[in-house]
Amino acid sequence: MKQIIELSVNGESSEFAVEPQETLLEALRDRMGLTGTKEGCGTGECGSCTVLIGGKPILSCLTLAVECHKRDIVTIEGIGDGNDLSPVQQAFVDCGAIQCGFCTSGMVLSSEVLLKENPNPQEKDIYKALEGNLCRCTGYNKIIEAVHKASEQMVTEQE
Amino acid sequence: MENKLDYVGQRIPRKDGPVKVTGRAKYTVDVQLPGMLVGRILRSPHPHAKILNIDVSRAERLKGVKAIITSDDTIGVKHAFVDTPRYPADEPPIAKDRVLFVGEAVAAVAATDADVAEEALSLIKVDYEPLPAVFDVEEAMQPGAPEVHTSHPKVKEPLSNIAGKTESGWGDIKTGFAQADYVREDRFESHLRTHGYLEPQATVASYEPGGKLNVLTSSQGPFFKRAKLAQTLGLPFSRVRVHKAYVGGGFGGKIDLFYHEFCAALLSMKTGRPVKIEASREEIFTAYRHGEPLIIEIKTGVKNDGTLVAQQFRVINKSGAYRGTGVVVIFLAWGFIIGAYRVPNFKYEGYAVYTNNPPRTAQRGHGCPQMRFAVESQLDMIAEKLGIDPLEIRLKNARQAGEILPNGDNVYNCGLTECIEKAAEHTEFKKKYGQARSASPSMGSIRRGIGIGVSAYITGSLIYPNSSSTVIKMNDDGTVTLLTGALDIGQGAETILCQIVAEELKLPMEDIEVIAADTETTPVDIGSWISGNAFVTGNAVRVAGTEVREKLLSIAAEELEASLEDLVLKDKCVYVAGSPSHKLTYQQLVSLSIQKRDGDPIIGEGHWRTVRGEPYHPSLATTKGRWSDSYAFGAQVAEVEVDIETGQARLIRAVTAHDCGFPINPTLVEGQMDGQVSMALGHAFMEEVLMKEGRTLNPSWLDYRMPTIHNTAKSEVIDVITERYEIGRPYRTKEVGEGYVSGILAAIANAVYDAVGVRLYTTPFTPEKILQGLGKLK
Repeated sequence: MKQIIELSVNGESSEFAVEPQETLLEALRDRMGLTGTKEGCGTGECGSCTVLIGGKPILSCLTLAVECHKRDIVTIEGIGDGNDLSPVQQAFVDCGAIQCGFCTSGMVLSSEVLLKENPNPQEKDIYKALEGNLCRCTGYNKIIEAVHKASEQMVTEQE
Repeated sequence: MENKLDYVGQRIPRKDGPVKVTGRAKYTVDVQLPGMLVGRILRSPHPHAKILNIDVSRAERLKGVKAIITSDDTIGVKHAFVDTPRYPADEPPIAKDRVLFVGEAVAAVAATDADVAEEALSLIKVDYEPLPAVFDVEEAMQPGAPEVHTSHPKVKEPLSNIAGKTESGWGDIKTGFAQADYVREDRFESHLRTHGYLEPQATVASYEPGGKLNVLTSSQGPFFKRAKLAQTLGLPFSRVRVHKAYVGGGFGGKIDLFYHEFCAALLSMKTGRPVKIEASREEIFTAYRHGEPLIIEIKTGVKNDGTLVAQQFRVINKSGAYRGTGVVVIFLAWGFIIGAYRVPNFKYEGYAVYTNNPPRTAQRGHGCPQMRFAVESQLDMIAEKLGIDPLEIRLKNARQAGEILPNGDNVYNCGLTECIEKAAEHTEFKKKYGQARSASPSMGSIRRGIGIGVSAYITGSLIYPNSSSTVIKMNDDGTVTLLTGALDIGQGAETILCQIVAEELKLPMEDIEVIAADTETTPVDIGSWISGNAFVTGNAVRVAGTEVREKLLSIAAEELEASLEDLVLKDKCVYVAGSPSHKLTYQQLVSLSIQKRDGDPIIGEGHWRTVRGEPYHPSLATTKGRWSDSYAFGAQVAEVEVDIETGQARLIRAVTAHDCGFPINPTLVEGQMDGQVSMALGHAFMEEVLMKEGRTLNPSWLDYRMPTIHNTAKSEVIDVITERYEIGRPYRTKEVGEGYVSGILAAIANAVYDAVGVRLYTTPFTPEKILQGLGKLK
């Protein structure tokens, strides 16, 4: 039996009839066309499907869509402002923290949350925040550099 | 003309950064087409069995099933990575009569959704008669072993299951060993690892009325895929169009033709509707192709001063159920010996051996990490025996600029010696080496060690499609469009190619549009899997850029009444030097060209090929023939920490001194190095696909541990620049994407020895092996 749910995604609310076993990932990708959220494994191991619910990073492949009724969801498409990249996104581009790009959405979202909660993270904080996101291309070095750079940028902007 | 470089050699952010960081980049898995069906593959549960009967009648009756295919629906043409008279293709695109490994495709279904497709698979009834199977490669070689395929007719030894053999040698091996002051023999063995690309394998095929097959597939080059699809489907090449979607990593794992590609195409041809097949991660772990583990036996003879005088190799590739790249890696493993050190007397034998494991494939470095691990480990043992240090023995034998390799290749501007010296100096190697072995008990249980490894790697070779060609066309507004068959799989191909265009035309990066990787609209390209992108495709782009520049200058010279050598390109204008107001914009020049050059809107064309003058790739069987135009060299130093109580070891620091010729984009070069260091530490300490009787025991990232951010090693990169980029001149920029996964693996092994005195002969370097070496575990 399908259920009607209301999802607020990137500030826009819509109603959907979803199967009870449907994951949030499926709803986002297949029903809303928000394909920036990726499925690398489907079993919660790679972090490519990370989205924010109520400002917290969650794995959308392990979350049922029906659990997200009336929750505020942010996907990669909701980061930045139109054509302007967020400081995190800009730092990823500038530092070479992107190669194939498949992990990038999840990496950016996890980094956004970290810097919101902790504008001046130490190396160990970055490790903790990104420990659930696998990247095979970069070896993580330039991703760590990008998070530091975004942090500096955001602190400078606030001053 | 002045040679100030504005774009090439600069840290320009990658061109596809903004679309990737906003989630707008479309990968194959993101593609949805109207009326698209979902395909699924029924795979063999047996490692070896006869197919007695396949009954699809119940599955066909299931509502929503649109087509089912078995081998009866194919034209019976086999395919393989290698398809030559000596090594004819041996893989049916769907199993016929017999299955040879767990995961081999037996049938495929297209249905209206995934649930229906999966239910349909469960309704297909296949009757099998299990046959004896063999999994261990040395058992498979024994006479009388279960036969996966008949041994290759040209291999005369009484061995079973030989898929192919490579033999090579020079000098006189007996005399060489007779001259040696010290001879030692060792055996090394590597293990099974997967590529770990984040984007799953996926294909969307759409057969259109009029007989055109459109294919989007996650690959490492569309031209190879087109060739294999056309051959197996019985379509002319021109009726198959394979084009680009963004690719979420490959590392060698997305080169071959896979079942999901063939089946999606054939199902689309049968139904007239688009069909998408996506592999699950579990499927990738269990049924897809992983890397190629090697057994390497080396006998080496040296003089007392460390000079290598003779070396003999016997290599066995633990191949799977089809030949695949099995006969390539036994050739390559030879090739990854010859570049680094001079060996006057040499003998090599390599065997590819069939087993009932899933077929194997290329994996970043393709034989190089395994070979360097073996050679460099043994070299350290020899050095220790002779009482000379690891640097000295390497410097003594390292190839020098201008040397000719035994196959006739020239190493040209080889920077290997400088790489070794710089890596050692930067890490204070001499000071640190050997320190841990005299450690006092007060250090606790942690021992720190340092080790070095070197590598030499080709820069493109002659494998189909052998060449890269590009077109640069100017647009009315003075911008340009680059047409290239190159496929950016994350390494940054499109970015560096645009940098070359930008440099040749002094045009901002944002004024260059790229149309890439489309067999229909872009010229042929060698693909992102033979380490030739920057050299082969890069030079093709440079040639096309030169033609465009010369056309711009020729018209400008006429119109400005100036001589060619007085003209300068800048800011999308051609100026007369010293007279900045005397200029024409590119926009004006395009319009003038159309007026005065019979309508030519200014188009440049370039093509390039490695080892010009050689018709083919060298013989896989005899290694005869030239191989590559250019070799990259590197020396890598690893510092590790080993806990002597737990046996846990980890990589703390990696220093890569590399001769990649000339880094077109230093940020992208560092990205390649960092990624290879990470992959090598996974290889060394963490990753192993565990198989039992052809079945994968750990088919997930929970049980197959890839490096996470917690495993990050400090990675430092030192450029040894041996090449110059000059506008309008060919260059020998070298590869950076594969060789550097190799020296570092050897360096890690040597560093573990330096730390705790445990010599490791097999990968991975597990706590168990280290504790055994320490005598703490029986």
